[in-house]
Amino acid sequence: MTDTLQTQAPQPEAPPEAPKRKLNLNALLVEGRALVALVIIIAIFASLSPNFLQPENLILMTRHVAMNAILAIGMLMVILNGGIDLSVGSTVGLSGVVAGYLLQGYDMPLTQLVAYPAVWVVVVISLLVGMLVGLINGVLVSRLNVAPFIATLGMLYVARGIALLITNGETFTKLQGEPALGNTGFLSALAGAPLGIPMPVWLMVVFAIVFSVVLNRSAFGRWLYATGGNERAAELSGVPIKKVQTRVYIISGFCAAMVGLLLTADLPAATPRAGEFYELNAIAAVVIGGAALSGGRGTIRGTLIGAFVIGFLVDGLVLVGVSVFWQQVIKGAVIILAVAVDQLQQTLQKRRSVKRVQVQPRKPQATPAG
Amino acid sequence: MFRRLTTAAVAVTFTVGLAACGGSSDTSAGSSPSTSGGGATSASAGGTIAVITVDPSNPYWKAEVDTAKSEAAKLGYKTTVDAHNNDADKQNQFIDGAISKKVKAIILDPAGADESVGAVQKATTAGIPVFLVNAEIAKQGIAKSQIVSNNAQGATLGAEEWAKSVGEKGQYVELFGNPTDNNAQVRSDGYAEVLSQYPDLKRVQKETANWDRAEGKAKMEIMLSAHPNIVGVVAGNDEMALGAIQALKDANKLKQVKVLGFDGNQDAVNAVKSGEMVATVLQPIVEGTKAAVKQADSYLRTGKTGASTEKQAIDCVLITKANAGSLTNFVLTQ
Repeated sequence: MTDTLQTQAPQPEAPPEAPKRKLNLNALLVEGRALVALVIIIAIFASLSPNFLQPENLILMTRHVAMNAILAIGMLMVILNGGIDLSVGSTVGLSGVVAGYLLQGYDMPLTQLVAYPAVWVVVVISLLVGMLVGLINGVLVSRLNVAPFIATLGMLYVARGIALLITNGETFTKLQGEPALGNTGFLSALAGAPLGIPMPVWLMVVFAIVFSVVLNRSAFGRWLYATGGNERAAELSGVPIKKVQTRVYIISGFCAAMVGLLLTADLPAATPRAGEFYELNAIAAVVIGGAALSGGRGTIRGTLIGAFVIGFLVDGLVLVGVSVFWQQVIKGAVIILAVAVDQLQQTLQKRRSVKRVQVQPRKPQATPAG
Repeated sequence: MFRRLTTAAVAVTFTVGLAACGGSSDTSAGSSPSTSGGGATSASAGGTIAVITVDPSNPYWKAEVDTAKSEAAKLGYKTTVDAHNNDADKQNQFIDGAISKKVKAIILDPAGADESVGAVQKATTAGIPVFLVNAEIAKQGIAKSQIVSNNAQGATLGAEEWAKSVGEKGQYVELFGNPTDNNAQVRSDGYAEVLSQYPDLKRVQKETANWDRAEGKAKMEIMLSAHPNIVGVVAGNDEMALGAIQALKDANKLKQVKVLGFDGNQDAVNAVKSGEMVATVLQPIVEGTKAAVKQADSYLRTGKTGASTEKQAIDCVLITKANAGSLTNFVLTQ
């Protein structure tokens, strides 16, 4: 009896290709495409303009890229979670305006005195304001189940409105501070260029490294990918999805506030309309970098490349002197192309994996001997 | 249940926030009795005037709003303020709002000369006289007054002064305003008209910076990369010019690149005083808005604006180092 059973045992099938390897290849292709796009863009513009690759121009363009990249890193966090943050542009404006307001000196209530907080206090308070906007977004989305699009759209208006109320429509330009008041250093710190590299670029690198570590090496990062990939499964596996959801919006708000401070120091002026439409560029960078808007897929590396693609494209078009209206058309076309090709890639990859399953049918069972 | 209630509460808060942040704010500028100096006071003195402007976060339009409010208050009217940000749809909504509120008059800074004809017609048909300030519409006979600063004249003034400062030769770039705003084209044409007369002056690039300081800085930086040997930049307004100045400061090129602005806002005036900007052109927005409100008041009381024509162009004033000291908040004191 045992003999027959043994001969009838079906042969073990060859194990399918390790899924982990396939995922990495796919991720590489997706990011690779953004990188290829970047290389093409650099090649085209370098050939069209001798000034494109000049070191000063590269540093300049990278500074522009960095302002968007920092925003995009925060946006990536939210998008990985399956959400979206439309309020980052307004948060940029709001935090800049708060910083400007504090640096001008504000009237302390009930006294005749004017308070001039130290620069580090100003920076901390502005960052906290950004995080507060993020907290509100996070609570709305995670606890009140408001769709991220709606919640952050509402905060887009609210934050912008508060910025306009704070400034009463004016622009704050007294940002240098005075030594006697102890509030100098805002401009030199945030608009400086240690070692010739502008501060925004330094911060972009720091943020990229920190959040890369968070995403790849921390529990929070694993939770984040899990909630984006399949929220229900993550929840059942014990991932604290509400905490994760709230935290990603706080991170996004923090990044936006950082950009607000950098922008204010750069101009230098705190204008209530600063950052208008910045969220669109951030989203563009994230999707060009290969993140899925539905969540669960995306990397810091990809987002950075996406930011460079958009930034170099936009600045390159200006450098070469392409008409303003064509600039808009080309920018939009590149974004659509990036996402469309990405979707195509996803569909093809799904089809390939389905075929693989079908190609390995179960071997027919031999009938037992009588 | 709780969740639904709070979602509803949040939705209501957002709707209120949305409405509030459309840029509108209701201000009642005191209801003191009308003080028309001597003579019969007609029954239509007093009431509300709707002020519809572009974007009060720009000091230029803020001055427009502040002047309208204070002038209206002086003449005994309440005011409401809305901002359409050059969006013709929003403008329509505010006109509709003004009509349903049955305001006595509308002071309007229109969003586009062609797009605004319908809106002004709507209000006029509803019996509310419209007085245009700062920009015009493409049709006469509808609004009771169209008070504009002579942008074309101002642009030529500025361009001539600027051309002198660069020695009438060299390459230059231009920062263009919001393309949906007529004044951007008017000023650009004004500059071109003057500067094309100088055969040695060549415009090598024109970029739009949408009236915005940050965009002006970013675009200027790239244009400097593309054309490192320019001698100057002409900007459609002061905010863009100020952005360009910062870009030039960062690139250490402020000495050799001369900047022209337009508007006469306080930051620009300070820049002219310190030599960072060659010149700006003061738009008599305060004067023009005062005139609009006065004409509205006159029309409401007597049926006539008191002006000889509907279209009135007030001349711009060139602001250079010589007279920058006497300019504060768009008012030139002599």
